[in-house]
Amino acid sequence: MKKADILFGKVVTGFAALCLSGAVSVLSASAAPDIPYGFDSGGEKIFNRYDDTPLSSMAGTAGTRNLNSFYELRQYPGSPPRIPHKIPPAFAAEPYDCISCHGRGGYVAELEAYAPVTPHPENEACFQCHVPRLTEELFVETNWLSIRPPAIGRSQQLGGSPPAISHSLQLREDCIACHTGPAAVAEIRVEHASRGNCRQCHVPLVVTEPVQEFTRNN
Amino acid sequence: MTMKLDRRSFIKSAAATSAIATAASLFPGVSFANWKKLEGATGMISWQKAPCRFCGTGCGVLVGVSGDRAVAVKGDPNCSVNKGLCCVKGYHSVQALYGKDRLTKAKVRKNGEMVEVPIAEALDVIAAKMKETIDKHGKDSVAMYGSGQWTIPDGYVASKLFKGCIGTNNLEANARLCMASAVTGFMTSFGLDEPMGCYEDIEHANVFVTWGNNMAEMHPVLFSRMLAARKRKTNVEVIDFATRTTRTSQAADKTIIFKPQTDLAVANAICYEIIRNNWVNQDFVNKHVSFHKGLTNIGYGVEDHFKFKDKAEGISFEEFETFLKDYTPERVEKISGVSANDIRYLASVYGDPKKKVTSFWCMGMNQHTRGTWINNLVYNIHLLVGKISTPGNSPFSLTGQPSACGTVREVGTLTHKLPHGVVMKEGARKMAAEIWDVPLSNIDPKPTYHTVEMFRALDRGDIKFMWIQVTNPMVTMPKLKRYRDGALKEDRFVVVSDVYPTPTTDVADVILPAAMWVEQEGMFGNSERRTQHFDQIVPPPGEAMSDTWQLIEVARRLGYEKQFPWDEDEYIGKIWEEYRRFHDSPKHNMAPYKVLKARSGVQWPFVNGKETRWRFNSKHDPACTSGEDFHFYGKKDNRAWIWARPYEPAAESPDQEYNFWLNTGRVVEHWHTGSMTRRVPVLHNAVPSAYVEINPDDAADLGVVNGEMVKIISRRGEITMPASINGRGVPPRGMVFVPFFDESYLINEVTLDAFCPISKQPDYKKCAVRLEKA
Repeated sequence: MKKADILFGKVVTGFAALCLSGAVSVLSASAAPDIPYGFDSGGEKIFNRYDDTPLSSMAGTAGTRNLNSFYELRQYPGSPPRIPHKIPPAFAAEPYDCISCHGRGGYVAELEAYAPVTPHPENEACFQCHVPRLTEELFVETNWLSIRPPAIGRSQQLGGSPPAISHSLQLREDCIACHTGPAAVAEIRVEHASRGNCRQCHVPLVVTEPVQEFTRNN
Repeated sequence: MTMKLDRRSFIKSAAATSAIATAASLFPGVSFANWKKLEGATGMISWQKAPCRFCGTGCGVLVGVSGDRAVAVKGDPNCSVNKGLCCVKGYHSVQALYGKDRLTKAKVRKNGEMVEVPIAEALDVIAAKMKETIDKHGKDSVAMYGSGQWTIPDGYVASKLFKGCIGTNNLEANARLCMASAVTGFMTSFGLDEPMGCYEDIEHANVFVTWGNNMAEMHPVLFSRMLAARKRKTNVEVIDFATRTTRTSQAADKTIIFKPQTDLAVANAICYEIIRNNWVNQDFVNKHVSFHKGLTNIGYGVEDHFKFKDKAEGISFEEFETFLKDYTPERVEKISGVSANDIRYLASVYGDPKKKVTSFWCMGMNQHTRGTWINNLVYNIHLLVGKISTPGNSPFSLTGQPSACGTVREVGTLTHKLPHGVVMKEGARKMAAEIWDVPLSNIDPKPTYHTVEMFRALDRGDIKFMWIQVTNPMVTMPKLKRYRDGALKEDRFVVVSDVYPTPTTDVADVILPAAMWVEQEGMFGNSERRTQHFDQIVPPPGEAMSDTWQLIEVARRLGYEKQFPWDEDEYIGKIWEEYRRFHDSPKHNMAPYKVLKARSGVQWPFVNGKETRWRFNSKHDPACTSGEDFHFYGKKDNRAWIWARPYEPAAESPDQEYNFWLNTGRVVEHWHTGSMTRRVPVLHNAVPSAYVEINPDDAADLGVVNGEMVKIISRRGEITMPASINGRGVPPRGMVFVPFFDESYLINEVTLDAFCPISKQPDYKKCAVRLEKA
């Protein structure tokens, strides 16, 4: 392991030192012994992340990422995004490499941008799912089609009520990672980042799946 | 300097990205996204389970469907294999259905031109040609070459048609090129094929040793499951035992590099040290192990008509110990380049009674001219210390294809095999004849050709007709030119069923458009004895037809209606229930169709409604009847066999003239020959072309920098391709590595068709080449 050689993206905010430990503490398990990791759709992550993130870094408004740039990197709603920036060829995707920027976010001088925070830092082999783009050309044209990205921004159920969580929680359990901070996608950034118990008001209602209606037995 | 350049282009690309972002921000709230929108869709997605189409891990995926189109994928949280996480291939797998050049119509060669015809006409042509060839040249002049990507029903009907009805053993599958040594390893050591353990071993083990196995790229989901286990515990380490430095090395706690082929010597040295230090689990060995030796100097199969049959001879423990005297760590250090200290370290890991050890391997050990031997030798280590068949103690042979186990190994689509047993055994022939409803005399007791010899027979003209399904041998055969020239000879007739044009459809006389993956119902079987059913989820395009149904249509045209009576709307279930009769015993019971349909995969032996996690362990395996803690019931002596197998050199090693090793393999983005993954935009964009990895010092000697063209020359052929220096893999000095997915750079023009004399599996990892700056 040659961490020093390949450490590449330097995070230059005030909490650079925290970054290396941040991802780990986000993971710290506080459940009782023998309770499997990740129960309740990994809801624990929200609380850990909340405790871990200074209010100031939840509140920023860089506004450089928006839904368009978000979907530019995806093939369908929910697909793992491509890596939009260059990476050195021997980049190993070791925890330090990707996580040094994407574990806690912060300003990256080389890119003149804030790094988006991953909602699943426990998965260490980043290149398993996220790959760069070395060419724009296709091998063969594709007939790929997918559905329109789901609408966002307001409650589908009752005007004025807290909007439901419109996506599946799988690999996206950590609300604070994506919905707060300067790198958050502008359209989905929450205005009340200082509240920590997100699922007190927001509950999953995946918009691409049919609504289950209540019916009584008998 | 290079770092600076990287930074500059990094900033450039960042600027481009933010320009796009700025443009997009002019239209807030309007999303353009990166894909074309399905018109008239409801916006609703329904999800259906399937096993992933690519490697042998067998991840459960959920395919998202809108109308009659697959539009999304997510990991299946109910599937115990991957628990909801996929790799980049799995997440984009459905896009492989939609390449613009999908084959949707049959084509037949008429006056030298490939002409589109209705598929019924193409099936008529195939049946007529088969009949004519058999009449003129005998039944052994027609052959079928299938695949570990065949569904279980595909392989089953192929076996029934060729072995049961036509009566030829000319049936092989590409799994010969990837798993044959694993099979012969299991058969010689345990008498039964496939791993005794399961993926749950990952959560129990303290030490993982990857033997010549770049799991980070080839089995990424299992690799990250291993990393997750390491992260949550304090006593887990990963040891990468490899011939080149890879992503697996970067994540491993320790990397040990050995010279190609010398894994044989190192494994023996580990056993030597285990015995010398009294780490042998005497109780286990006394009760459950017997010792054997076989023939030595067994050859390499490079000549036509090569024959070899091993002869097992029982030896004592003391004789085994004497055999190992040649393999002291100091002596093996000289052969292998692995320091005696590292050898002792490896031995201490296996020998420590407090540590649970799982060994993983795949092509590094299987594509090896002594592939059977090295499989035996790793079992030897686990058997000496009794670390086997218990949670976390697991010698684990990984599979490369989604159904190499399910279809090729379990259904037995190899020349010597039947769905149960081998053609040489009368009992096995009787069982097949009865279940297939064919005369016993139909089933030929003599195996014919293994894969390499089958393509040699096509070249020689002993085989005149070959039907190839779901595989791309005109990219994957070693010493490719001979076999391509053979297929193109005047009176050879080649039928190819596939989903896209490939170098193999280029040599075809008939092309059948095939239904792909979830465009048909079927089952796969993964590396851990798990059978995985999938429904037809979307319709196939045009006239594309499942491989099973293509075979049934031809069988009926050949007059075998009685053996192939099923209706198109229920044939898969009927075939499964017929096939299941072959495995009706606690050693191999398969789950009923209904259970398979309901669950995200079911492990066999499936006995009294329960899956068997650890075979040969009385606590877990109902087939154990000895009353002991373990029962290795596969062998007649009810023991697992330790084999004295020596180190013998590779078929071709570097010399003065050809001074480099050539090693070939894969990358995480592409699967096998890339005929599917290269049509997936994200995957092709990430790795658009093959390359040759060269050690930086060798590159400097040669005077090439990254991206410059290098000519790779062997005694078989040559190829010119771009150099990759300090890329994702770095070979040691004196070795180059080339991935084989790229049909524009056919590395198999250069490779050698030497194989393991026992398994007949070719060695794609070792031959001698020289390099020139192009």
